Amino acid sequence: MALTPETLPRHELNGLPVRVAESDDPGTVGLEGIVVIETTNTLQIEVRDDGGSRVVQVSKSGSVFEFAITDDAADLEKGSGTTSKLADSQPDSSEHDSDESDRAGEGVAYVTVDGSRLLSRPARRTETNGDSPWQ
Amino acid sequence: MGVAEERIDRLHDLARAAASECEHERARHYVRLARRIAERNRLSLPRTFKRFTCDACDAYLVPGKNARVRLQDGHVVVTCDCGHQARYPYEEQ
Ligand SMILES: [Zn+2]
Repeated sequence: MALTPETLPRHELNGLPVRVAESDDPGTVGLEGIVVIETTNTLQIEVRDDGGSRVVQVSKSGSVFEFAITDDAADLEKGSGTTSKLADSQPDSSEHDSDESDRAGEGVAYVTVDGSRLLSRPARRTETNGDSPWQ
Repeated sequence: MGVAEERIDRLHDLARAAASECEHERARHYVRLARRIAERNRLSLPRTFKRFTCDACDAYLVPGKNARVRLQDGHVVVTCDCGHQARYPYEEQ
């Protein structure tokens, strides 16, 4: 299962370009950078500004993140039958509480995710609501 | 390929990139996370991942930078900066 808007909440967030779209902490709104470290309750975002870079810690709860996922994931979304089938077969509930809006660019898809959906230990996010054979 | 395998692959790349920029603590973080995901999902890690990480301190090993690689009789010895050694057999062609 590739990194698609559907799988993103269970996928690896480290290394993804991200923008803080909304946040209870006004100081972090609009920050743009790369996720470098994920903890249970926060994302640490490396922001490059002129000259150097700094790492800002943003709380997951109370924030809305916009992740950019590139080419291969976006292509899979349109092209392959298997991914769309899987997406269709997901229970309706998960479709509705996910407020993912995809703005398609040139090979870039922007996925908006409420931080509260990412609240989990980084290593366990993959299992929590997924296709684990042990559930 | 499942999400867990893909996460491990991505973390492997991230760890390699971080180590080559001398962000060794960050690389360790990615190595540990990949190990934890493999453990929780009962997957074995790829051979290249095992060979390029230190079993003792979880460092991502870059030969010449934070690892020493020496050939001995029939095996390779990889020494991490922490002092831990790993030995792998090789066969001469
Ligand atoms: Zn070591």
